[in-house]
Parts: sequence; structure tokens; C-alpha cells
Amino acid sequence: MNPVVEVKNLNVTFKGEEGSIFAVNNVSFDLAAGETLALLGESGCGKSVTLKSLMRLHPMHKTQIEGQVLVEGQDVLKMKPKALSAMRGKTVSMVFQEPMLAFDPVFTVGDQIAESVMRHERIGYKEARQRALEMLDRVRIPSAAKRLDAYPHEMSGGMRQRAMIALALACKPRVLLADEPTTALDATVQIQVLLLLKELQRELGMSMIFVTHDVGVAIEVADRTAVMYAGRIIEQGPVQEVLSRPWHPYTQGLLGATVHPGMDRNQALPAIPGAPPQLIRRIDECAFAPRCAQASSRCLSPLPGVNTLAPRWTRCIHADVSQA
Amino acid sequence: MSALLRVQDLKKHFPIGKDLFGRPTQVVHAVESVSFDVEKGRTLGIVGESGCGKSTTARLLMHLIEPDEGRISIRGKEFGNIGGRHPVAQLRRQMQMVFQDSYASLNPRLTIEDSIAFGPQIHGVSETLARQQARDLLDRVGLNPSVFIRRYPHELSGGQRQRVNIARALAIKPEIVILDEAVSALDKSVQAQVLNLLSDLKKEFELTYLFISHDLNVVQYISDDVMVMYLGQVVESGPVAQLYENPAHPYTRALLNSVPAQTPGQSKNYIVLEGDPPNPIAPPKGCRFHPRCQFAKAICAEKEPETVKVSGSHKAACFKLPGSVDHQTYIRLQEVSHEPRG
Ligand SMILES: Nc1ncnc2c1ncn2[C@@H]1O[C@H](COP(=O)(O)OP(=O)(O)OP(=O)(O)O)[C@@H](O)[C@H]1O
Ligand SMILES: Nc1ncnc2c1ncn2[C@@H]1O[C@H](COP(=O)(O)OP(=O)(O)O)[C@@H](O)[C@H]1O
Ligand code: SF4
Ligand code: SF4
Ligand SMILES: [Mg+2]
Ligand SMILES: [Mg+2]
Repeated sequence: MNPVVEVKNLNVTFKGEEGSIFAVNNVSFDLAAGETLALLGESGCGKSVTLKSLMRLHPMHKTQIEGQVLVEGQDVLKMKPKALSAMRGKTVSMVFQEPMLAFDPVFTVGDQIAESVMRHERIGYKEARQRALEMLDRVRIPSAAKRLDAYPHEMSGGMRQRAMIALALACKPRVLLADEPTTALDATVQIQVLLLLKELQRELGMSMIFVTHDVGVAIEVADRTAVMYAGRIIEQGPVQEVLSRPWHPYTQGLLGATVHPGMDRNQALPAIPGAPPQLIRRIDECAFAPRCAQASSRCLSPLPGVNTLAPRWTRCIHADVSQA
Repeated sequence: MSALLRVQDLKKHFPIGKDLFGRPTQVVHAVESVSFDVEKGRTLGIVGESGCGKSTTARLLMHLIEPDEGRISIRGKEFGNIGGRHPVAQLRRQMQMVFQDSYASLNPRLTIEDSIAFGPQIHGVSETLARQQARDLLDRVGLNPSVFIRRYPHELSGGQRQRVNIARALAIKPEIVILDEAVSALDKSVQAQVLNLLSDLKKEFELTYLFISHDLNVVQYISDDVMVMYLGQVVESGPVAQLYENPAHPYTRALLNSVPAQTPGQSKNYIVLEGDPPNPIAPPKGCRFHPRCQFAKAICAEKEPETVKVSGSHKAACFKLPGSVDHQTYIRLQEVSHEPRG
């Protein structure tokens, strides 16, 4: 079966007055129907830039994008404006950390959902409003009929997050892009929204790319994970395997440094020294080398391809991939 | 054992909105009779959902805002801006605070050295000595003084700025440090470095911490005792192991349970609370948690449960607890089924 999404050698560079930012470097991955991929990594590693490339949401004038982004076989990077707007919100839809990015503050939530449905499907206002109501109900917004006429700012944080999910899913997209949609929420609300997303995904048979910096969240939602560092995917594979037996020293370091229950409180945390590099040049060697305990001089030459044992791979020349 | 820091019946209401006559139209019940003790050398973790009053409590302790009611004392000495109490300036020599937003809390026009040396000079330390101490402290928080003293805040990474903030708080030589989401904005790999630093400094300078965080795993790791707040009130408190293993309050149980497992393959049965934390402008009557509580009965909507002992120093406020005077009444009542609130 063909993957729903195929990203091949994606490079995204932002041109600025003070030089360029090499935000995404040779990123490739694919996504099967119904599958959830977690893009995991620390802030600034290129997760959001990768995700936005799938809908071509970057500022046109200063962004240089190379590579291929195939959605159902069509290259998003080559689409004409009309095809692009037909695709956005219909085939591929997105939810954000900040729901006010998705909503226009001057229109009611119900009208905004209805408008999106009317734009993509040839149906009238009444029917579209009915769909909006169904969706609000589906994301478990209490007294949904009353909330149709609420403005975004009149809702609480968790409710607004659910309303945004209703908006994103109203046209039953094939792929949902979720950019840290639960990061700003309280723990008790985060878990409501995560479980809701998982359930809706199953019902609609969608694929999902879920961006997060939280290992626990990745484990909860994803089938597969791709770990990013300094603009590259450095390791990918089934989430259970990658996160229980990481191959890449960065993934190992990240998991070790993340505080989890049952840690010995009398022992120092195994922190990774230093900080991620600035992305002001194209890094062809291993970007983790300055922080890596296993680094050798070979790690400073341009990295060869990936080290793999299907279905996993990693971008580390010293990783032992034999014992999966 | 007597407490180093004792907080009794702290209260803060914020009037908001104005009517025709300039009178406030609404009141935010941000902090409502909060009391707790912290013993010397211990770390008290404070948790609870956004808006529950954690930062307001911290700011009240520092007298950055004036409490409506309540007493704050250190080693039995009471501080405040009321006659008969010790002056707030003295309080701030003994207690310092580090905030989440490392950028906003440093003056962008001061070098790192000036920022750290500023506080002690206010408190009468000579400039030469203050600068020498600033360099020692920078070194202590893992920033090479010769590289960093002349730098400005915007020339540092988030983790480095947070180290500077910690150095600045320690420059006054306080006994108590309040850390309000002090590591929350940092990436995990850098967060671990700063948490290690905090543990080392605590031992070296015999510090006592109040550690506010929404990260329940980090609180478990760093704290000796934990206090759980809900809508401006303390609903449960106690030693960290006891409280995490045996949460007594239904809210604590749901809160702790909602953290996704960090280990692959452990699927969890979540206790999913309905709705969001309610509005502190009109807190529910009775037990403030009752609209979201699966164990709520009629009495919970009428009467406020008092704080009772669970075991040892572990305490909670809920009618389900055998120690509660209304426990028998609660037991006899029928469970009420309530609509999920919106
Ligand atoms: N100066 C103020 N005027 C009016 N309301 C305020 C003021 N400061 C705080 N509040 C309100 O008091 C309540 C408690 O706020 P506080 O900042 O203490 O929450 P918190 O527990 O620190 O939350 P978070 O986890 O989001 O930091 C909130 O409802 C907040 O909006
Ligand atoms: N529009 C833009 N212009 C310039 N730089 C950008 C832009 N968007 C993102 N970046 C930079 O690209 C890098 C990756 O960013 P991002 O993908 O947002 O990180 P994250 O992994 O936290 O989502 C960062 O260095 C960021 O500052
Ligand atoms: S390639 Fe070398 S430097 Fe990079 S992670 Fe592997 S061992 Fe470390
Ligand atoms: S007092 Fe009642 S409503 Fe409050 S937590 Fe206990 S059982 Fe729930
Ligand atoms: Mg991002
Ligand atoms: Mg706060």
C-alpha cells in the first residue's frame, strides 16, 4: 500500500539579513494510512518547520524549500495556489498549540467550522451548521448547540482546544498535523484532549503527525517516532522500540535526562552537557558530536548514510544496531 | 521541630472590573486561607493546575503583593508592612525568588556581573566585594566568569540565563529560595543540568526551597514534601513518597494519574476528569472540587471540608476521609450523579 505522506530530502532554509538559518536538513519520512508518527525533539530542532512544510505554510519571500512532499502522490511543493487551498483543511488539516492561531476572533466558532465545510464540500449553510454542531458534540463540548454561537475568547482553554480539533476534523481529513496541541494545557485537560484525538483518529481512519517534546506524550499517541536534533531526523522506528532501546546517543541522553517516576533522588540526573548548536550553517557532520561521549574524529567528517536494521534506522556511525 | 518558614491563613482577593462608581464588579479568589510550614533544609513542592494560586502564594510570601490577611514568619519572626512586624526588606534578605521567564527578570541593559552584584550592594556590601562574589557565584553555577561577566542577557541561552538568575538570587545569601517554574521553560537536556545545580547548591549553602512546577515528575524527584492546590486552597499536603503513592484527595489522585507513563509498553487506565478547572471569580460553594469530583455527594456542595490528618504529617481536605467530622454524614448520603460542567 502506498503511504499517504512521503517526504523526501526536505531542506528548509530561511534567508535573513544576518545570514541564513538551516532549519531542516535532508529530512525524509513517510506515513501510512491510519498511522501516527511522533516528531520528538527539543525546542528549535525543526519540528514545526517540518510540519508546516506539509501544508506550505512558510513565509514565501524568505523561505527556500527543496525536496519533495508527496501527499497522496501529489507534490505539495509544486501545487498551484488553487490545488493548495483545496488541499489545506480538506486532505491535510492542522491543530496548533495556540488555538487562537486557528480561529478568527471576530467570528463565532460555529460559523467558522461551517465556513470551512462549505468551502470544501458543496453544501449549504444550514447543512454546514449541522455539521459544525455534530463536530462540537463529537469533541465533547458540553451544550454544543449553545456553543455554536460562542466567540473563541468566550471559551476556556481546554474547550477552545477541543473546538479547534472540531474545526480541523470537520472535513474528515486524511492527515492531521498536530503541533504540540496539548503542551499548554493542564495535566488533567491534556489527557482528555490526547485520548479524544486518539479516539477520533481511529473513528475517521486518519493518519497523524504529532509534534511533541514530551516523551510520555509520544508514547501515549504514536505508533512510530522520528527523533529530531538540529534540523535532522537522527533516529526513527516503532515508538516502543526506539524509546525502550534507543540507538542514537542523543536519544539515549534525552531519555536519561528526562525525569521520570522511580528515579533515585540521591543520584544526580544524567544530564547532557552543553546545548544544541545554532543552525547558522549547514551541518554535514554529526551535529551532536560536541556533546557526545562516544564521539570520535570520524564523527566530524560528513556523515555517511544511515545505520539501519529495518524497520529502524539511526544516523550515528558508532551505533550498534545489531541488537534490536 | 519548629518550622523555618511558617505561613498562616494567607488570603488574597483581586478586585477586577469597575462599575460606574469605580467599584470593582468582580473578585478573583486567588488565594484562600493557605497555611503551611517548611522545615530548614527541606524542599516543598507546590503543584496544581494553572490559575490555582501557586505564583500568587509565592508573590505574597515575598511581599511583592500585599496579602489581605495572614502571617508570614521565619524562625518565629513575623514580617510585613504592619506595625509590630519586621520590615519586608529584612524578609527579602532571607528569602529570594527565581521566576520562569529568565529573560524578563534580568535587566537587559546590565551586564551579567552588574546584575548579580546589584542586590548585595543595595544591602550594603561594598562594590569590590559584591563583584568578587558575583564572579565566584558565576563559577559556582557553571558559567566561566572570564567568558560571561561582560555579557548581556540577550547574549545567553535560556539555560545560561536561568543559571544567572539563580546566581543572582543566591548573591543575597538567602536561606529560602522560591523557584517558580524555574526550570519549566528549559529543554529536558538542559533542565537536568539546572536541576543538578539546584541540588548541589542546596547542599552547599544549606538552602530551603519552595519549588513550584506543573511538571509532576520533576516535583516528585526534587521535593521532600508536596502541597497540592486547587482554586486557591491547599487540598492535600505531605511527604512526597506518601502523597504520590497514596494520594488521599480525589483531585490529587486524578492529577497524578493524568501524567502519561514515561515507559513504553505501560498502558495506563486514566481517571479522566470532566471539564476544565473552574473560574476563580466564582468558586463553587462547599468543596471547591465538587463539580468535577466523581465522589461528590450533597454535603460536598454545601459544606467546605476541613483539613484532616491522613497519617503522620500527610493531610487532606475531603469528607471521604475517616478523620473528617462529617465523614459519617457523607457515608450515609447517596451519590449524586452530576452533569459534566461546561
Ligand atoms: N494582579 C492580578 N489581578 C487579578 N487577578 C489576578 C492577579 N494576579 C493573579 N490573578 C488571578 O489569580 C489566580 C491565581 O493566579 P496565579 O498566578 O497564582 O496562578 P498559578 O497557580 O501560578 O498559575 P500558573 O500555573 O498558570 O502559573 C488566577 O485566576 C489569576 O488570573
Ligand atoms: N519563519 C522563520 N524565519 C526564520 N527562522 C525560523 C522561522 N521559523 C522557524 N525558524 C527557525 O528554525 C528553527 C527550527 O524551528 P522550529 O521548527 O519552529 O522548532 P521546533 O522544533 O521547536 O518546532 C529554529 O532555529 C527557528 O528559530
Ligand atoms: S555519530 Fe559520533 S558524535 Fe554523532 S552521535 Fe554517533 S558517536 Fe556521537
Ligand atoms: S469533599 Fe466531596 S467533592 Fe470534595 S473531594 Fe471529597 S468527595 Fe469530592
Ligand atoms: Mg514548534
Ligand atoms: Mg504561576
